[in-house]
Amino acid sequence: MKVRRLLLIGIATAATPVLSLIAAAPLLDRTAGEKQIAAVPVNADLVSRGEYLAKIGDCAACHTLAGQPPFSGGLRMKLPIGAIYTPNITPDRYQGIGTFSMADFDRALRFGVSRGHSLYPAMPFPSYASTRAEDVEALYAYFMHGVEPAAVPNREAAIVFPLSMRWPLTYWRLAFAPEPKPIAAVPSGDPLIATGAYLVEGLGHCGECHTPRNYAFKVRAQTSSEGPLFLSGARVESWFAPSLRSGGPGSLARWSEDEIATFLSTGSNHSGIAFGSMGDVISNSTQHLVRSDALAVATYLKTLTDDGGGSRVYDKATDQALRRGDASAPGALGYLDNCAACHRPDGRGYAGVFPALAGNPAVETTDPLSLISIVLSGSTTTRTSATPAQFHMPSFAWRLSDSEVADILSFARTSWGNKASVVAESEVRQQRLELARPESTSNN
Amino acid sequence: MIDTLTRRSFLAGAAAAAATLTAACAGSSSDGSARINRAYDPAYFTADEWAFIVAAVDRLIPASEEGPGGIQSGVAEFIDRQMESPYGYGAFAYMSGPFLTDLPPSLGYQLRYTPREMYRSGIAAADAAAHRSYSARFSDLAIDRQDEFLRSLETGAITLEGPPAEAFFEQLLRNTKEGYFADPMYGGNRHMGAWKMIGFPGARADFTDWMDQQGRHYPYGPVSVNGSKDR
Amino acid sequence: MATRKKKVDAVIVGYGWTGAIMAKTLTDAGLSVVALERGPARDTSRDFEYPRVADELRYGVRGELWQPLAKETVTIRHGVGDVAVPYRKYGSFVLGNGVGGAGVHWNGQLWRASPEDLRLRSHYEERYGKAFIPDEMTIQDYPVSFEELEPHFDHFEKVCGVSGTAGNLRGVIKTGGNPFEGPRSDDFPSPALPPVYAAQLFDKAAAQMGYSPFPQPAANSSRAYTNPYGVRMGPCNMCGYCELFGCFMYSKASPQTTIHPILRDRAQLEVRTGAHVTRILRDNTGTIATGVLYIDESGHEVEQPADIVVLCAFQMHNVRLLLLSGIGEPYDPSTGNGVVGKNYAYQMCSLTNAFFDEDVNINPFIGAGAAGLRVVDDFNSDHFDHSDQGFVGGSLIFAGGTGGRPIEQMMLPPGAPAWGVGWKSAARKHYLHTAPVGTQGSVMSYRDSYLSLDPTYRDSYGHPLLRITFDWHDNEYRMAAFSSQRAEEIVRAMEPETYSTFLMKPGDHYDVRIYQSTHTTGGAIMGKSRFDSVINRYSQSWDVPNLFVMGASAFPQNMGYNPTGLVAALAYFASDQIRTAYLRSPGRLVDA
Repeated sequence: MKVRRLLLIGIATAATPVLSLIAAAPLLDRTAGEKQIAAVPVNADLVSRGEYLAKIGDCAACHTLAGQPPFSGGLRMKLPIGAIYTPNITPDRYQGIGTFSMADFDRALRFGVSRGHSLYPAMPFPSYASTRAEDVEALYAYFMHGVEPAAVPNREAAIVFPLSMRWPLTYWRLAFAPEPKPIAAVPSGDPLIATGAYLVEGLGHCGECHTPRNYAFKVRAQTSSEGPLFLSGARVESWFAPSLRSGGPGSLARWSEDEIATFLSTGSNHSGIAFGSMGDVISNSTQHLVRSDALAVATYLKTLTDDGGGSRVYDKATDQALRRGDASAPGALGYLDNCAACHRPDGRGYAGVFPALAGNPAVETTDPLSLISIVLSGSTTTRTSATPAQFHMPSFAWRLSDSEVADILSFARTSWGNKASVVAESEVRQQRLELARPESTSNN
Repeated sequence: MIDTLTRRSFLAGAAAAAATLTAACAGSSSDGSARINRAYDPAYFTADEWAFIVAAVDRLIPASEEGPGGIQSGVAEFIDRQMESPYGYGAFAYMSGPFLTDLPPSLGYQLRYTPREMYRSGIAAADAAAHRSYSARFSDLAIDRQDEFLRSLETGAITLEGPPAEAFFEQLLRNTKEGYFADPMYGGNRHMGAWKMIGFPGARADFTDWMDQQGRHYPYGPVSVNGSKDR
Repeated sequence: MATRKKKVDAVIVGYGWTGAIMAKTLTDAGLSVVALERGPARDTSRDFEYPRVADELRYGVRGELWQPLAKETVTIRHGVGDVAVPYRKYGSFVLGNGVGGAGVHWNGQLWRASPEDLRLRSHYEERYGKAFIPDEMTIQDYPVSFEELEPHFDHFEKVCGVSGTAGNLRGVIKTGGNPFEGPRSDDFPSPALPPVYAAQLFDKAAAQMGYSPFPQPAANSSRAYTNPYGVRMGPCNMCGYCELFGCFMYSKASPQTTIHPILRDRAQLEVRTGAHVTRILRDNTGTIATGVLYIDESGHEVEQPADIVVLCAFQMHNVRLLLLSGIGEPYDPSTGNGVVGKNYAYQMCSLTNAFFDEDVNINPFIGAGAAGLRVVDDFNSDHFDHSDQGFVGGSLIFAGGTGGRPIEQMMLPPGAPAWGVGWKSAARKHYLHTAPVGTQGSVMSYRDSYLSLDPTYRDSYGHPLLRITFDWHDNEYRMAAFSSQRAEEIVRAMEPETYSTFLMKPGDHYDVRIYQSTHTTGGAIMGKSRFDSVINRYSQSWDVPNLFVMGASAFPQNMGYNPTGLVAALAYFASDQIRTAYLRSPGRLVDA
């Protein structure tokens, strides 16, 4: 009896804080954000600016499904606890956000709270948090007046109770999302860099893929001032999103501002071609950057410098050996049999068609996951308005064993002056198994 | 393979069997794993037809020092597998009648035989003709008799009770050479032996480095569509 | 009872090269277009993937990309009055199929015409006299000139990223190029690829003899190149799997690699595959086309109404469709009346194989369809004095080889056994050391070379096959002998150990078993009047003004050059006129 009562009291005591948290969460959510924001007069320019900003924010990536009305949601996002579906953000009054005030819209965009509850940080509100007020207004104007209302109902999340409880998101948000406020001024005061910082750290939300996360799924650095982990590269599904910094191996050290801007606009430059999810980012989002904004992003990225890495010089020895008939290096013959036709024995590829491997930062990344995925699944280049033709690398999973893939990638990572680590057979085997799983998401 | 041959044809086809055994030993791939030249069980050809095919291929492309023979290369298996493909069924030819057969050869093939039918009728007719001339079927003949017989098929010196001898021979020689030189995935050209003999790089299909150094000896061996599995 | 589709501005029959050119240019002008292709969709990424595409048996021998003869072929006879029999197996020519057609698996040998080729009869009469042209030869002038087509030749070269060296740039002769070419307004879009070894030997020998060898103009781009439509192309790596194969390098110009990428998002264009057109439909006056009838993939009959019908189905099938539809008067060789089917011609070729010593590394497997080859044009068209030669026409002489695929491209010296130990020996000895030198020559048109419908044989839908009546004439034997002698002189100067020549001699009939060329021409020829041609200078049917017929069916006779450049130029020329004069005022563009 007593034991039972003590047990109950014990559980109640332990549960009280949790129950309090659960009880408090809705209140915390409802009070998030600004109470009201004054409406601004809507004109065509504002809507147009909003449309441009929506492209930079790449809202379509998650809120537009192929074959469905734009922004009507429905994209299935797989979480460890089940799946959620992105909502309809067209101005439809019943199924979309047609009844949202400016404050409601801002609350979702920058604070991560919508319809009284916190959002899963799959919505990158921690990045959008620094969006300027006038840009929030432009986005609101676009979504209210520039997007066609679509009566596509929202789909319920496929998460089983109790995992479907949302109150933990409130506390995640409070603990880990930055306070919505304008970004800090850049040290140099250069307006181009300031624009770049605003775009990259904010709507561009590059860090959501390119910055590593901690145990709680929070990015380990939200802005450049938070240290060298910012944009230092991270695993996303079957890819390793490379470092966007300059200095270390696999970094953008050898790309000029112009080359970075060209890459964002067309999906390729002299030494690299976009792959994986970045292809979609370029075709949906960055290809629409006006030139000055693309350069601003590039210029800002080039300020993120680290020591180390050393300078890279192209080494002719690899090609000279192959031209001489010497394919004795491990992986060399495999390279000749599978890769050289497109990527060339000299590793230089063909600009805009087949990426170079020599001096390509994506080849020298510390984590070779992307390379393994590309060899096993193939890859297709991005289609932009400037680049209507697409080029396709076939999958080699059927032709090459794990050790052959490892040898060939190791060859590529250590030839022509590339100085990256070798790839182990076990890494290839693991990724092959991962890609074979039905729920696995690779981009091809 | 040996089990399916009668004792008599084993003796007569000793060259073929020896070549097969040799191939079994030679079948070890360079990475050291033992690759036994498994016995091939024909899907289309009967045992008698198979004996003819094996013997004929062995004479059309004999084993020699210069390179593998047709049997060792798997050409007989190739032909059998082709008979089970759409090609064998005549899917690649216009096979509607009427069939007018007494027209000049320059107007092309006008017989009603699909490849499968050509072999079925042709082999039976050829063995019958061999019986008439030499009292034995083709695969039981001595090697020089076999060569003589093949030459007479080639020139039409023999009349067959079935397809015209030259047409039958042409089908056989054509498929034999195809099997010898096609990609190994089709059953012939085992280990790319024929490609190695002549110096053809196979499915490498890249000569970027050789466009500006023409006339030099090309140093790399061949690769097949399936890659290192055929080395 | 046919399903009737919604009417469109234009329906295109066949979606190969001219189909893509017309789809692009007509949608540029805002027209709604349906393109009907009876074969399957084809795309580099899915269908020509490396290394699977490097499979000689599948593509080079069985011909997976070609038209399935089992469903439809042609019949062939040598003489009027002979019985024609089906072309049951592939030999003499290869028929394209599917999206891109033969534009996918051609060699990329892209030429213009010489100016005189377009006014052949007048030119010969002027230079050699009327009597020089035999009575039986029915050659005609084109109703369009080189100068009028030049901007279109130029444009198509740029679309294809052709690699080459100009020989006559705006009237100035340039070294290294073809001094006999008509004046070009611009250089080639990309530089020529270096010659393969056999072409180097040929080059040297030909130059020694005072000829002017030059790089074969190649729609195999030599470097990563972006064409005027914004479409980027890859560079050629001389893989040796050119003709008969799709290009995995995105380098060989095809509709897929040069035009389709910009058509993808055009809402006014719809491409339907598996759509086999059986008839062009007309109104009850018979003078206006109302659309076409086709059979879809499930075997249903469908009517596609349209204001304009464009036949882009390849020379053979264009003519067959006109005959099956009853458009235009069929040609009758006994009376010489009628025009549809008239003036069928082909290509007269010879081949000399040069066999070198084992220390000469020809490496035939290094090759591309056109890139790396060298050509002597001195004996083509009317580039030389014909006065004492007694024939009309001429040949290209070219060397280099397009690949060394062992089943079909192995050439052995005469005397090498066809099988046995001796054959193996010869193959091993000669494979790496053999160089081909070829001649590709003109074929004139004749009263007795023509196309008609076969009375006996039918396709898988039950419609009569097209019948070819064709054989060689004295003129072509003489022309080929002359060209072959010139080729052999060059080969001798290359100093091989031995050489051997395949040449058709008087008495040798047209042999359908041996591959010669897919340059079949004529049957719906272009001319100045409705009495001697099927279409006018704008490729418009004289009988049905809203019907246009593209392709080499327009050629009144065949020239030594490959036809694709002229075919494309005529298509662009026609399209210009359709989009301007015709749309403004539909009707006859030229007085009959």
